[in-house]
Amino acid sequence: MSVEYEAVIGLETHIQLNTTTKIFCSCKADSWDDAPNSNICPVCTGLPGVLPVLNRKVVEKAVLLAAAMHAEIQVLSFFDRKNYFYPDLPKGYQISQYDHSLARRGYLELPIPASADPNGKGYVRAVHIHKLHIEEDAGKTKKERNRRYVDFNRCGVPLVEMVTEPDLRTAEEAGQYLIRLRQLLRWLGISEGDMEKGNLRCDANVSIREKGSSVLNTKTEIKNVNSIDAVKDAIQKEIERQIREVEKGHAIKPWTLDWDDNAGVLRMMRSKETEADYRYFHEPDLLPLEISAEWQADILEGLPELPLERRARFMRDLQIPEYDADILTADHDLADYFERTIGLYKGDVKKISNWLMNDVLRMRNEWGMSMSEMKLTPAYLAELVQLVDEGKINITTAKNLLPKIQESGKNPRTLVEELGLAVVSDDAAIRAICAKVVAQNPVEVKSYREGKETLIGWFVGQVMRELRGKADPKLTQQILKELLK
Amino acid sequence: MKNTENSIPRDVFDHLVDLAAFALGEDEKNYLHDQMNHQLNAIQELEAIPLPDDLPTTTHGVEYGDDGKPALRNDEWVACTNTQEILTQAPELQDGYIVVPDIPTKELE
Amino acid sequence: MTNLVNCSALELAEMVRARQISAEEILDETLTRIVEVDGRPGALDTAPAVDDEKKVHAFITHTEELARSQAQEVDAKIAKGEDAGLLAGVPFTVKDIFCVRGTPSTAASRILANFTAPYTATPVERLIAAGGVMLGKVNLDEFTYGSSSESSAFQPSPRNPWDLSKVPGGSSGGSAAAVAAGEGALSLGTDTAGSIRQPAAFCGVVGMKPTYGRVSRYGLIAFGSSLDCPGPIARNVRDAALMLQVIAGADRADATAATQAVPDYLREIERGVKGMRIGLSPDYFRITFPDPQSGEYVEQALPAHMQEAVWKAAELYRSMGAEIIENVPMPNTRFGIPVYFVISRVEAASNLHRFDGVKYGYRTKQAVADLNEMYRRSRGEGFGPQPKLRILMGMYVSAAQYSEQYYQRALKVRTLIRHDFENAFDPQGPYRLDALLTPTTPTTAFGMADVYGDSVMMQYADQLTVPANHAGVPGISIPAGFSSDGLPIGIQLLGPDFSEAQLLRVARAYEMATEKEEWREKKPSLLEGK
Ligand SMILES: [Zn+2]
Repeated sequence: MSVEYEAVIGLETHIQLNTTTKIFCSCKADSWDDAPNSNICPVCTGLPGVLPVLNRKVVEKAVLLAAAMHAEIQVLSFFDRKNYFYPDLPKGYQISQYDHSLARRGYLELPIPASADPNGKGYVRAVHIHKLHIEEDAGKTKKERNRRYVDFNRCGVPLVEMVTEPDLRTAEEAGQYLIRLRQLLRWLGISEGDMEKGNLRCDANVSIREKGSSVLNTKTEIKNVNSIDAVKDAIQKEIERQIREVEKGHAIKPWTLDWDDNAGVLRMMRSKETEADYRYFHEPDLLPLEISAEWQADILEGLPELPLERRARFMRDLQIPEYDADILTADHDLADYFERTIGLYKGDVKKISNWLMNDVLRMRNEWGMSMSEMKLTPAYLAELVQLVDEGKINITTAKNLLPKIQESGKNPRTLVEELGLAVVSDDAAIRAICAKVVAQNPVEVKSYREGKETLIGWFVGQVMRELRGKADPKLTQQILKELLK
Repeated sequence: MKNTENSIPRDVFDHLVDLAAFALGEDEKNYLHDQMNHQLNAIQELEAIPLPDDLPTTTHGVEYGDDGKPALRNDEWVACTNTQEILTQAPELQDGYIVVPDIPTKELE
Repeated sequence: MTNLVNCSALELAEMVRARQISAEEILDETLTRIVEVDGRPGALDTAPAVDDEKKVHAFITHTEELARSQAQEVDAKIAKGEDAGLLAGVPFTVKDIFCVRGTPSTAASRILANFTAPYTATPVERLIAAGGVMLGKVNLDEFTYGSSSESSAFQPSPRNPWDLSKVPGGSSGGSAAAVAAGEGALSLGTDTAGSIRQPAAFCGVVGMKPTYGRVSRYGLIAFGSSLDCPGPIARNVRDAALMLQVIAGADRADATAATQAVPDYLREIERGVKGMRIGLSPDYFRITFPDPQSGEYVEQALPAHMQEAVWKAAELYRSMGAEIIENVPMPNTRFGIPVYFVISRVEAASNLHRFDGVKYGYRTKQAVADLNEMYRRSRGEGFGPQPKLRILMGMYVSAAQYSEQYYQRALKVRTLIRHDFENAFDPQGPYRLDALLTPTTPTTAFGMADVYGDSVMMQYADQLTVPANHAGVPGISIPAGFSSDGLPIGIQLLGPDFSEAQLLRVARAYEMATEKEEWREKKPSLLEGK
């Protein structure tokens, strides 16, 4: 008798906000390229007597995220001290939020694509958010020859900690959650969301149970995973390990597991018998954080339509396929670009989608810029496609024009004129060439007139060659047929 | 209320010493343990005070009011000009890093 | 010529601005006084010496060079006709719990003995900017944890200038002793449970704990962060007002520093108390404490001479046109100490987490196996018994399993204490007080070593001062005569939030009314003939 298992997964994410300065002092938040301990001050190194002063922007960015996760933003929240010793924590406590956090409850309707669905159909997983709070990051340590080297540059970088309920069921779902979260962070412009750089970090709590059961079994916690693929990999391996253990009749112990990315294995860190006693208490150096209705409204004015909402709208209102909608809402700039383009374009929006997905994105990636930096503006793209639709240029010409527009910043119509790329549709000009071709090729004319009408293509080709491909093909054929009658 | 009624068990005391990261001699331990038990007596009084259920806690006595509450900080970078002065306070410094003995590892594998 | 060391800060600044004397002259005379009375500064690992009993020992660090350059700067400004500030040339000392850039900032602890601050505390910066001349850093209980200044790791600890066999009080004992002994006109202290007011009372000087948040805490090495208040210690009320004027006000570096405008504390200070309502509470005429032997709670009336000083002051106020309201209930006063035992310990334990030997201060010299051992040895060797006790107690009452029973409960009782004051000061309430008049301390200064070592009894010395810290309200202690054994008695005035101007005015009224009294002529024995 074989039992079917399902995994129960909760994710705890730490998101570095991309503010200019740290959360409690005026040092800059980003010290990616800085020498160790060069981006520090008395406050973030925890000198005796210093006090934290909260950065307003941190609150605003966290509120945006909370709203985007449909969480309940609290009018009054408190900061707390989480006390523990670690050399990268200069005050000996981390200023965090404990029982009265910035926001509570929330959810993300997570679309799982067909490719990540074992049944190949795709579905939606509702992921609930338990709480969302703001806190300060710690510094970094590195080990060398049995000594620890401490760098405080990262101390005080603002973090949002967001904890999901154990709603995820597969490693794929966990991966999708992180992909959607990263997309959202970039969309809102509140974090770079880059796991490799550590500005999005994720710990995963994993347990298994019999399918259909609703119990929550003992879980393990996976730490130190720094890419989305690694998260999926680590969770999958842990699920398999737990199933093996259970089938051998062993109990799952509440271990903390460390992911070794190079070896692709999990290692046990320490037994987690009791919750460490951090002795949380309200941070007396900060007054309770009050987010008035007025302030909240101000902040939320900057909340854009969310990526998943926009994706749904593209599919529903514009009849764009899911595949296209996904790509077009990958980032905010691109989605805006698409919408601006179709607003200026008078044809089938799917055509613009194709142009974007096939040609413009490739060019953007080659040039390594964002959509908003492109000289090929939505207006130019709309005009270019319009020129093709009108038969002013042919599609090959149009594609060749893309980099030229981007290089010159000139509008397509001007470029077509300057480069003489317009299709010749002047009746007289084409008629003159056609007459010349007819006159110079009596043998073919005779054959045609004797019934070999397929030669019309050959005649058109001759005219095209004379006009270097710019002749309007329909008109050419029409004139030729007239002359050959 | 007798002293003996309220005392902190030695194992709890030892755990606190561990949490506080103190290396202590026996005499010092005994003195501190004894003093803690005295203080514990003094705070037992709190337990006898009837408190209404809806009584809020006070974290700062004073009421700031709208005109007294400091504004949050603007997100503007001000570089600290004397980071070196901060670092020279460190007992051990190397290549800009503050150096400490290694962290004991509890890795079991 | 006037003896400059006995002049008030106001007089000194006026004379400097009027070019009657120079800041350097004041400094020279003050330095001479220090040499005469202070003796050796507190230091680590000193053996007691017989001579120690004959000196004040207010200092830990003398900053003579710094003082010299500050004085010269003031004189240069005066010479150029520039504004030299409210405190032009006024010498002051700073409790060594404040960071001052380039000076050892020790908190009277071994763990910070080698720490040189890379930045300056806001109130100190303001004193210097106002033309003050900083003489040095003065002694205190280790990390301010005490009421006698004896727990300093820097010995000898300060003595009471009125009677060198007595403590100066604490924790701002060095501050009060220095001011009383003419070693600077002003001193910057801190008050977490009475640490400004109690030593001021013991040393016969004026000490004010402003409203919580009125003076920035930036640079004050924290003890109980929700209770700590920097404040002035001076020889008279107007000097305290002047000093508060300089240090009070919003600070972008302290998110709990109130932004209310700072009034002119001197403008109406002499307008008297006519029409004011001044209260007396029976709850401030007794203390409750556990009997050291039985542990039973004992309620004890204050000594008669302590009570009399308050009654006499009340009579004076009545004669000046104030209305005296008796029997104002302050029923939660007795809980001040137990609540304090919990809240201050929790905050202190956390505040002292940062002293770990990693980035500043003391690191053990012994060989260690790993980081944990480095922590344990550095903290074990670096902290004295008082900080250790407070850390352990704070850890106990905030541990997850006890927090509800102790810490959360204490925060609620703190609300009750606050309610006592709100009720007394409520302009629509039954008492409508402008100020509550109480004794500052249950007794006059106690003998050196008399209660030191017993952490509980030591703490009960704060019973009449600590409620104001819980409630956040301001309070001031002013001299009100002497006991029969020649020790100063202090009386305390407490007022509603941000009522410093009014409190100073009430205090000044008492000072003016007693100006001609014989006891005002008394000087510390140490200074007789000086
Ligand atoms: Zn900083």
